[in-house]
This record gives sequence, structure tokens and C-alpha cells, in this order.
Amino acid sequence: MKKKKKKQNRFEEWLEIPKEISTEKPKLTIMGFEELLIENYKSILEYQDFYVRLSTYIGIININGFELKLNEMTNDDLLITGKIESIDFEKTVDE
Amino acid sequence: MYIKILKNYLLGYVRITIEGYFIERLMNLCLKKGILLWKSNRKKSTLLETNLSIEDFKRMTELAKQTKCKVKIKQKKGLPFIFHKYKKRKIFFLFLCFIIIGILCLSNFVWNIEIIGNTTISREEMLETLKKEGLTIGTFKSKIDTKAMVNKIRLDRNDLAWIGIELKGTNAMVKIVEADKKPEIIEEEEYCNIIATKAGRIVKINALNGTPLVKEGDIVQEGTPLIGGWLEGKYTGVRYVHANGEVTAKVWYTATKKIPFNQTVASKTGNKETKYSVRINNFTINFYKTLSKFQKYDTIEETKKLKLFSDFYLPIEILKNTNYELVENQVVYTKEEAKNQAVEEAKKQLEEQIEEKETILNTYFNYQETEEYVEAQVTYEVLEKIGTKEKIVF
Repeated sequence: MKKKKKKQNRFEEWLEIPKEISTEKPKLTIMGFEELLIENYKSILEYQDFYVRLSTYIGIININGFELKLNEMTNDDLLITGKIESIDFEKTVDE
Repeated sequence: MYIKILKNYLLGYVRITIEGYFIERLMNLCLKKGILLWKSNRKKSTLLETNLSIEDFKRMTELAKQTKCKVKIKQKKGLPFIFHKYKKRKIFFLFLCFIIIGILCLSNFVWNIEIIGNTTISREEMLETLKKEGLTIGTFKSKIDTKAMVNKIRLDRNDLAWIGIELKGTNAMVKIVEADKKPEIIEEEEYCNIIATKAGRIVKINALNGTPLVKEGDIVQEGTPLIGGWLEGKYTGVRYVHANGEVTAKVWYTATKKIPFNQTVASKTGNKETKYSVRINNFTINFYKTLSKFQKYDTIEETKKLKLFSDFYLPIEILKNTNYELVENQVVYTKEEAKNQAVEEAKKQLEEQIEEKETILNTYFNYQETEEYVEAQVTYEVLEKIGTKEKIVF
């Protein structure tokens, strides 16, 4: 099983498929201190003005800040704007 | 993403407030069902403001019932709502449609003809020829075939070197280049005489080829042959040639001017009045009723075509009549003044005719006086070349 996965990985590497598509790992893009784009997330656990908690396939992402807004919300990406102070992660799945 | 939001603007969207304890659950449900939420903002811990398209709003209310949330519409945005707002103002829309249709209809006609590049051919004459080919003010634009028209006009008129017709908006620009009238070219092999173009006294005759027919000091009339295109030899007989040579002669130009001693001169007083009227095609509407309050006046008429933008002329003209009040004064000239004025005017008239002023040899003055007027005759004596070639016709 493990061997097969490795093979697949190699194949994908060879094709140069982006990791956020081939794996289920989230991709976070921060523009300045006021924009955060998260791709590959599962659901919103908590949303407050100062605190956003998101669940992904490999763990939980916490975002602290002020006046946080969910500008765009679609099935696989989320754009958070506002004064972002800190981001931290909670790993749930061991690989 | 932006395309989605644009689509939602076109189809309409609402800004809603959701109140409840399980807002996150509702949001996750929306995600799963594929309902797009944008510009979400958490006002309070139990209150969420978000945008939502009209299509998704019904499904959203069902989900809100499941999660026991209250949904309130705050704002309606987008085109469907704007249209709905204007549904009650039917007459406004009707007139808007009328105006748009009117402009579209009017833009299919030619409402102005601009002629560029004419110096000797008058504008009226050009318009007349264009009318024959079917281009007048008010013709349908798609009926005009500019290429065929240009070809036809060029065949018909010899005095045009080039003509171009360009339709720009409701404006037809006709550009013309006038052809110079070329003198008849006589080839070297052909036989010709040299004849006089003007009446005058011969000063010098220099025949390079041919037999001179006049002597120095002879007075010739217009059309008199000066150098004959033949040579006579003792043994060869008469042999025709291409005559060539220069003939200079004294030519007289005269002008007479009559100046009466008593004259009425009209001068402007500075008072003026302007009157406007509107002309649609050939139908004029005056905006005034009264006649002019001045007894004697000059009228200067100005027309201005109305146009939208730069090239969209409308078939409406504004006429502006300006009346200037005139005062007539009786002026009595003395003999000297009248004489001087007559000479000045005669000179001015003559100088327009003479091309080279350096060749003026003499000027003669001649006066004739009566009790009422002075008549002055001015004569210029000018040295000029007066020969041109003319073909010999057997």
C-alpha cells in the first residue's frame, strides 16, 4: 500500500501537478498583513469578529485578528480580510 | 470568483442578516450545498451579515429553518431590482425608447454635405452635380454607392482631377482637387503660327523660325499673326515650319472711374439687434414677430447646423440674423478730392490685372469734369510678351 502511494507520488512529481491539488494539504497565501487566502479546507468550525477556526484534512487552523471578514467563500477556497495578528495550527493526523 | 460576483450582480443579489446560535453550522451547510456567500461580516456573536444571490436565497431559508436561524433581507441590489423600480415609470421608458429609435433612424441619413478643396468651382455648382448622382441632404445612407458616384462624376466633369466622398456619421465629406486647364500642346513636328494675345504696339520681334509678318512700331490687334509658320526659298518654294520666336509689345491697360461730388455714405451707428429662427429642412420658424426697429439697416445672416458629438449632424439649422443700424450722411467732395479718389480706385482696379509691376513703362491720366461728377481715365503702358502658338489649319 505504502509502495503504491510512493509510486503515485513519483508519477505526480514527474507530471508537475501542484501539491494542493494532488494532496489534501491546505495552501495558505498571505498578502501583506490584511489578506489571507486558504485553499483546500473542509469547514468552518468557528467564526467571530476576532477569531476564525477552520478545519482542514490534516488539522485545524486558528486565525486571530480584528475585524475579520470572509470576503469570498466557496467550496475549496476562502479569502479572509482584516487585521490578521497570528495564525497557528493544530495537527490532528499523524502521517 | 469575480465572474461569479458579476453574474450575481446581473441576476440580482441580496444582503441579509442571519441571527441564531448555530451560524457556523449554517455556513458549513451552505458550503456543502454550493451556495456562494461573499463579503460575510460577523457583527455580533449571534449575528452575521452576508451577500447572497437571489437563486440561492430560497434554499438558504430552508437551511436556516433547519438550523433555527432567522433571516432578514437588508438590501436588494442588482439589475432585476433596478428594472423593477422603473416598471412604474412607463411613460419615461416609452420616451426613452422613442428617442433612441429616433436617433437610430436619423443617423441613417445624410444631413450635411461638406465640400473641401474648391476654389473656382462654386459650392452650389458642386452640390448640383452631386444631386444629379443622387447625393443630397436627406438621402438614405445605404443607398449611396460612393465608388460608383465618384467614377461617374469624374467621367462627367473634366475640371476635376480627383474627387473623394467619405461618409462620416451623418456628414458627407466631399474632397475635390481641381484640375488646371492645360494649354493646348502643339508638338514640334506640327506646323504653327505665332499670333498676338493682346492688342499693342510691337517693340521687338525676334523670329527664331518662320517669317516675321509685322515690323517694329506696328500696331496689332488681338489674333493678328506675328510670325508665319513657313519659309520661302528661291529654289525650294514655300515650306511650312514650326514657328518659334519672341515678340514683345507695349500693351495698354485702361480703367475709368466716375466719382460724383455729392454722395450718400452709409455708416454704422453701433446699434444692433439679433433675431433667431430655426429652420428644419426648408421650413422656417421665426422666434420674433416685429419688424426691425431701425429704419435703415444691414442684415448679416449666419447659419449654424446643430450636431451631436462631432459628426452626427441633425437636420436642424439655427439662423441668426443680426441687424446693424445705418446712418446715411451726405458728403460733398471738392474737385481735388474727387479726382484723387477716382484715380486711386482706377489704379487699384488696374493693378489687379497686371501681373508684373516692374514692366510698367508709363502711366497716363485723363480727366473729364462736369458739374456733377469727375471721370478719371488711367492708362498703364506695360511691356509684355504677346505671342502664342496656333496650329496652321490647311
